[in-house]
Amino acid sequence: MQFKTFDIIPHGTKIDFVGKRHIAVVLSILVNLAVIAWSLPLVHGLNFGVDFAGGTEMEVRFGKSVDAGTIRKAVEELGFKDASVQTYGPEAEHSYLVRVGRIALMSPEDVKRVEEAVRARFPVENMSFNAESGDKIDFQFKTPPTTEALRGVVEGAGVKVRDVREEAGLTAGTKSFAVITQGIQDKIERDLAARFADAKPEVRRVEYVGPAVGRELRNQGFKAILYAMALIVVYVGLRFDFKFSPGVIIALVHDAVVTLGFFAFSGREFNLTSIAVILTVVGYSVNDTVVVYDRIREDQAKYKGRSLGEIVNLAINEVFGRTLLTSFATALSLVGLLVYGVGTIFDFAFAMLVGIISGTYSTWFIAAPMTIWLEERAARKKAGAAPAAAQAAAARASK
Amino acid sequence: MERPWYWRVGLIVAVAILSLYQLVPSWFYFKLPPDQRNGEAYDKSVPRWAPDARQHLNLGLDLQGGIHLAMGVDVERAVKAKVARRADEIADYLRSKDVPFTEARTVDAGRRIVVKGPALDPIRKTVLDAYEHEMFSPGGAPDGALLFAFKDQVLREFQGKAVEQAEKAIRNRVDKWGVSEPDIKRKANAQIQIQLPGFKDPEKAKELLGRTAQLEFKITDDESAVLEPLRAAAPQCPGSRAGMQFPLPAGGCWTIETIELPSGGSHPVTFLAANTRTELDKLVQDKAAPVLDATKNAIGIGEATVHGEQGGFQGRYYRSYLLRAKTELTGDYIADAGVGVDNSDPLQQGRPVVTFKMTPQGAGLMEKLTTDNLGRRMATVLDDKVETAPYIKGRISSNGQITLGSGTNRQKQFEEANDIALVLKAGALPAPVTISEERTVGATLGPELVKKGTVAALWGLLAVLAFMVLYYRASGLIADVALVLNGLLVLAIMSMIGSTLTLPGIAGFVLTLGMAVDANVLINERIREELRAGRTVRQAVQQGYDRVFWTIVDAHVTTLVAGVVLMQYGSGPVRGFAVTLIVGLVASMFTSIVVTRAIMEYFTRHDTARLSV
Repeated sequence: MQFKTFDIIPHGTKIDFVGKRHIAVVLSILVNLAVIAWSLPLVHGLNFGVDFAGGTEMEVRFGKSVDAGTIRKAVEELGFKDASVQTYGPEAEHSYLVRVGRIALMSPEDVKRVEEAVRARFPVENMSFNAESGDKIDFQFKTPPTTEALRGVVEGAGVKVRDVREEAGLTAGTKSFAVITQGIQDKIERDLAARFADAKPEVRRVEYVGPAVGRELRNQGFKAILYAMALIVVYVGLRFDFKFSPGVIIALVHDAVVTLGFFAFSGREFNLTSIAVILTVVGYSVNDTVVVYDRIREDQAKYKGRSLGEIVNLAINEVFGRTLLTSFATALSLVGLLVYGVGTIFDFAFAMLVGIISGTYSTWFIAAPMTIWLEERAARKKAGAAPAAAQAAAARASK
Repeated sequence: MERPWYWRVGLIVAVAILSLYQLVPSWFYFKLPPDQRNGEAYDKSVPRWAPDARQHLNLGLDLQGGIHLAMGVDVERAVKAKVARRADEIADYLRSKDVPFTEARTVDAGRRIVVKGPALDPIRKTVLDAYEHEMFSPGGAPDGALLFAFKDQVLREFQGKAVEQAEKAIRNRVDKWGVSEPDIKRKANAQIQIQLPGFKDPEKAKELLGRTAQLEFKITDDESAVLEPLRAAAPQCPGSRAGMQFPLPAGGCWTIETIELPSGGSHPVTFLAANTRTELDKLVQDKAAPVLDATKNAIGIGEATVHGEQGGFQGRYYRSYLLRAKTELTGDYIADAGVGVDNSDPLQQGRPVVTFKMTPQGAGLMEKLTTDNLGRRMATVLDDKVETAPYIKGRISSNGQITLGSGTNRQKQFEEANDIALVLKAGALPAPVTISEERTVGATLGPELVKKGTVAALWGLLAVLAFMVLYYRASGLIADVALVLNGLLVLAIMSMIGSTLTLPGIAGFVLTLGMAVDANVLINERIREELRAGRTVRQAVQQGYDRVFWTIVDAHVTTLVAGVVLMQYGSGPVRGFAVTLIVGLVASMFTSIVVTRAIMEYFTRHDTARLSV
């Protein structure tokens, strides 16, 4: 037999994971509660990106360093009170994410002013404006004006017009007019270009999501995570034993919440990609758990007569190197993304890293010991008449 | 083991070579500067021996620059318009049947119709006799009035059609711009998703917004010989009269078709054809426009599909129609359109026809138009595109029908009829759209992300490769070979299915490399354990793989589950991530279970073999 190993991680470790489970559980519960509390809108809330909150988001790159606060002030002065400005990507790029919660530039007052001006000049039959679909007002008239006249009146009310279009109306033979006014992107772009002329701002990306769509994406995202968890639990249940399911569920929820915690506490934007990360963490972190469970099953068959607590500890220690190394290898692949990661994928890689670490931790301290706790409970129920036996079992289990 | 090692090594080599072969088009695709990738230059640069040129990796909008739009169709408004027209129709119908009534109008936010009259029973009977297939009369109407409501299924159909119709209008408009590879999809909740890669003009894209489709009727000018000089100015389309050869020559060509004239007899009419709308637009602009008198004639452009001899789909091209300049009628005068079945001709039982209904005012105009032009062709032009140009076979007033050409494939005929009905309706029932999502990625951002993403991925790969060799020595090297093959395989499969690489997709790619290594770590650690337990190298390898097989499957399946759920949920970049993850996991299962095992077993095939693990 010829083999040599290059062990960083010693084999045959005898770390007492099971014994420390009480401390671990308390710690985990605290962390999880903190994340959930912090994520609640009442307390602090997640920094929902435009995907979920709705609104307009622009990635602006400047030719030289500009203070984020100054940009925010500039945008706020344009009438966007909820503006948020964040640096994006590496410092050296001078890129900023500018987000405002609105889609339409026109405020209700603007619309009202336009409406009054148009009504004063033309016989308006019907008017509609939807702040969720952008800067566009629809008019129907009893006697249609020319598009130029209509444009003149709207501009007279102090709103810049991009286009006036004549369209077919709701019923045959009628006409409808769409007045399309200056949009948010145009306004902010012009203003920044004027204010920071020497820094040459360049709008590189604009995203704009209606609030209704945002809400829907958000709900679907959370639903998708729940579905994935449910399916994974069913798979693990079918492949192993449904008595493992509670442990898997708890571990999955734990890892998802901890990953969410990265977004909650760092204030990084929570968006579609974040949902992708959490889903991946949920799918990946269960791997370690499965490996340990697999070994528990193997050892249970091998060492009949030993208590479950001993077997769980033995199993975790036997695959300790594996668990640590697989997580390490996967984390290693993220190194490049963490060093060179731009914007979205930097957050992706970092959150994934948090998820991988949490997945490893939860395997050792949450998922595996969970089986013991369940066993104890079952034993206590069964042996309700013989408490002494149950106590003995519990004592053995926590050894 | 079951198969000799050389079979399995052969399989691995074959997979590696096939993967490389499959990546040839992608290699040539990315070698070109971004603005030439989707044009002819690319088709020419791919060598003849390579796989289908279309099977290359695509860059997602986030990496390529371009516009992503999601448009919501205002189905409520479309339904309201439909109900409003039905109320008008009911009034007309009651009048024509001499049933006395005082009023027919919409109520309940435009979803129901109320009819008032002196005697309700005859009204109920008359209306339901005619509209029973779509309406019923619920109770709860005030005294002296009758309520009519649409069946749920009919309302759903209205909504569905409104979305379909908006999609068609959007397609026509995008088509006109000559964007390469636009992607237009109908999604749930009356949403239409539009992706315009490389498109830089968001203002123009907003042209899609709001403006409802413009439908016009024009008469073709088949007697005119004005286009005949073109036969000298452009190449003739190759192929016989029975059918043209495809693809057509670049830049377009001319050809003739035989058209029946109202006077009896027939006439060879010249028209222009090209493979793309942009080419044809240019050809028309350059060659046809100078010889036309704009006050008399206009050129309409339509799309034609060519079916092969077996009736299968063969090709699509664009062709011109010579039209009279005057717009005879517009869609404003159409009240409704649908698909019906024609049983009048005993030889063509069950043939689909497009039925349409004019407004009272339109009926008069249509009658005059069809009487004057009996036997000519009438082109229906939707948003500047000729959708259909059937012969006028009889006088049409308020109710018309368009008979489709004879064909054997009923299914196809019904689809065509449905298409034309949609076009007619587009003019009749506006289905307004609003932008619900818009993502514009500037042209400079994409290439930078590609560069950074690639560098980041390479660093990740290098880190993993180095770790494996350092930690596991020879076994690590074997895992590294498998890992590189894994990467190749993922890219090859992705090019084969023509999937899209997005920024999160790059992250997904890196992550699956990490997970592939993960599997190799599992295997190697197990082999170490078996060796410690005192087995020979050969036994340890075999035991290691056998024992770890299900663990690897379990680990991959759980992540696959997450990937599949994500693919159902996400769109755009996130979907790209899900696809990469899924492909990567499948490839990883193959490389870790089959590839490394075959190599390991090859090196440890003798009992005296040594292994550094």
